[in-house]
Amino acid sequence: MTYKEFKEAVISVSERMQVTDYELYYAESESTSVATYKQEISEYGTDSSMGVCYRCIRDGRTGYASTENLTAWEAENLVCRALENAGSIENGEPSLLHKKGDVYATLPEEKAKTPTGAEIVDAALELQKEMYAADSRVADGTQSYVICGKERYALYNSNGLDLEDKASYTCGMGVALIPEADEMYTGSADKDGSFESISWKEIAEKAVEDGVSGIGAVSVPSGKYTIVFTGHAFAQLLTTYDSVFSAEAAQKGMSLLAGKEGEKIAADIVTVIDDPLYKDSPVKRTFDGEGVATYKKNVIEGGTLKTLLHNLSTAAKAGVKSTGNGQKASYASNVGVGPFTFYLQPVEGTREELLTAADNGVCIKEVSGLHAGANPITGDFSLLAEGFRFEKGKKVKPVKNITVSGNFFEVLKQIEKVGTDLEFIRAVGGKCGSPSVLLRNMTIAGE
Amino acid sequence: MLSQELIREALFRALSTGADYAEVFAEHTCQKNISLVSAKVDKIADSVISGVGIRIFKGTRCVSGSASSLDRSAVLDCAAKVADALQGSAEVGDIVLRERIFGDIHPIKIVPTGVENSCKIDYIREACLAAKDYSKEISQVTGNFLEVDHRILIATSEGLLAQDRQIRTRVTVSSIASDGSENQTGSVGPGARKGLELFDDFDPKELGRKASKQAVTMLHAGYINAGVMPVAIENGFGGVIFHEACGHSLEASGVALGQSQFCGKLGQQIANPKVTAIDDGTIPNGWGSVNIDDEGTPAQKKILIDKGILKTYMVDKLNGRRMGMESTGSSRRQSYAYAPTSRMTNTYIAAGEDRDEDIIASIEYGLYAKEMGGGSVNPATGQFNFSVREGYLIRNGKICEPVRGASLVGKGSDVIMNIDMVGKNVARAQGMCGASSGSIPTDVGQPLIRVASITVGGR
Repeated sequence: MTYKEFKEAVISVSERMQVTDYELYYAESESTSVATYKQEISEYGTDSSMGVCYRCIRDGRTGYASTENLTAWEAENLVCRALENAGSIENGEPSLLHKKGDVYATLPEEKAKTPTGAEIVDAALELQKEMYAADSRVADGTQSYVICGKERYALYNSNGLDLEDKASYTCGMGVALIPEADEMYTGSADKDGSFESISWKEIAEKAVEDGVSGIGAVSVPSGKYTIVFTGHAFAQLLTTYDSVFSAEAAQKGMSLLAGKEGEKIAADIVTVIDDPLYKDSPVKRTFDGEGVATYKKNVIEGGTLKTLLHNLSTAAKAGVKSTGNGQKASYASNVGVGPFTFYLQPVEGTREELLTAADNGVCIKEVSGLHAGANPITGDFSLLAEGFRFEKGKKVKPVKNITVSGNFFEVLKQIEKVGTDLEFIRAVGGKCGSPSVLLRNMTIAGE
Repeated sequence: MLSQELIREALFRALSTGADYAEVFAEHTCQKNISLVSAKVDKIADSVISGVGIRIFKGTRCVSGSASSLDRSAVLDCAAKVADALQGSAEVGDIVLRERIFGDIHPIKIVPTGVENSCKIDYIREACLAAKDYSKEISQVTGNFLEVDHRILIATSEGLLAQDRQIRTRVTVSSIASDGSENQTGSVGPGARKGLELFDDFDPKELGRKASKQAVTMLHAGYINAGVMPVAIENGFGGVIFHEACGHSLEASGVALGQSQFCGKLGQQIANPKVTAIDDGTIPNGWGSVNIDDEGTPAQKKILIDKGILKTYMVDKLNGRRMGMESTGSSRRQSYAYAPTSRMTNTYIAAGEDRDEDIIASIEYGLYAKEMGGGSVNPATGQFNFSVREGYLIRNGKICEPVRGASLVGKGSDVIMNIDMVGKNVARAQGMCGASSGSIPTDVGQPLIRVASITVGGR
């Protein structure tokens, strides 16, 4: 059956089972993706997915169940499973569904037409061609990917909320492979936005430049260094630690920022913002995972922790209003807490100016192994990194096979300069961004 | 899941534009995840994942599609979209499906989906309470129970029709030790291709205490000094070093496209002669085991590296075409929504002949990595990293004080040459491995090994 029919079926089962408080969250997506190899299309994908999550409150407790199998039998089963699960919950936390009354942002009308499969294929081939053209050392194994998709989110609850967000996006990615003197180098770059707005040549050149600039990279002696993180690398770190700003993590004793609202937790120049409606984000959300209107907020302002991020339940517990950060990692997830488009506010200076201010040190362009080498509960990180050594503000040689170590909470306090070159990476709730950042006295393990 | 008539119709439509191979993958999965915080049930995620993935090959090109439905119209629509991407036409002969039953070597005693929540909760709670009671310094404990009942059906234009039902359960306990201003963590996470009889394999109290012991030990540890040194890596999850440093680079998904440090190295010495490494999808009830892979090929036990010599890659059908090699039963996907590719199953370094005490005694100054965290790798360059959850300094051949914050980094092809001592006692441990075809269960494993020299990140 269609989602509309399934929704009616679930509403009628809920009534019959005397469930008075419930919510249905629906997500669907459609995408076309293309991958190339040796300047030909190697893989073409056409995917559509959808799923429904049901949340109900029984005796003050919240239960969830989700399904992708929209049948009359499953409507019944979905409600039964959620009720059973509600019966098992013991956390004693406030169980709430959102009420009507919020003012929701209006997203601009979608004007761009959806690219056809043939147009996506052409784009991927162009990206691939431009990568080979960018440098003669680019070898077979270099690949380009283009994905175009549409998403729809809908939320309905027994308080009469009935909301829908739609979005469409295109993402292009180039991964360049460059063999040189018995070593293999890779470089990558990606860009998202509307299909028309993306320059395939620009992605290609950036990907190849990323690979070529690493040729001949060596390690550095272990020790303390002045470090400039590029926006990309610092955004990788910021998104890994975004859970420390969650009131849920704080209330459960899993964030060292618990109870620190109003306190100085970072250097004066640090302002961190969550903006679900950020202008350049392809997937803007007007409501969160439980129907609360989203809005832009400063999480850290001038170094002071202004607020943690809240959903309805954590806000009720803390006696504040939800910040509209009820996040579902996927449609099937329980409502948790998380940012949407989360970024460190730009301050002053280009990356070159930061390098000049730093004088001598290491610029880190990329860190790896974040899921294992960075711990949000302790703040500690020890991460594989690559980038380049600079002297008197100028690049002298590429660097690899080093680790950079520290503690995120200390890093926030030690940030000396923040540039203006804001870069974004993809993140669970949307995007995470940062400009280049200058830090001193960081530990690098190398030779 | 799907009628033979519908499968045939879908394969027929998928081939109608000139593909030389078509495959239908259907799935119906029930999955439940129960989380406890402070020994109380905090969240339950309870999902049904259901849909179809269709692929066609024309030579070495592949078109794939998926849809979140097993309805006749959705399946045929998916087949049509996939076929229409090729823009040709072809006469398709009759497709005769012959069902094969490969047999199930993973007996399940208690299917978890039929059992009420309370049984599962009681076990996890006991583990969480024991973890909390371990020490006054334990500030928080989270526990997790995961059950997956994954039913798959694979049918191909070659006439294969096969099904499998993969039941897995896993228990995770994570402890936080705190002195008020600093936190450290410890965790355990055993799992298997088993039902609730997994509970009989582990005393929940032991699991909880083990997680807490690690957290408390690390709370009182200093940071290791960064540098290059010899490292002894313990058995079990220590095997993540092979998984990252070498395993991913032996997957055909990278090798077929020239994106691996081990391209063209079959028959050559790529590792220290002490190293024999195996990928075995046939271990009964193993976390990463499968009866058939996600293309319907029976699982195999493969010696990847024999005394340092590269013997085989892990190959799926599509990349097998690109490489001129047969599938090794290595094709895996998280779900119908991900196109499958070659992946690991249960991968481990086989037992060697060195005694554990000799390995430790051989190190004048270095690191003993007792418990590992996860890691990652760039298979093309071989640059890998993984983190040490619980580590100790070795001085003058003796294990000394605990150290925190260590991670190990290097280049895979260098590091497997540097594994110069291999112990006798192999143990495996469970992990989730992420790559282009999604997140799948895999085992890593090894005996205690020595890496003669590796970069250790610290402070």
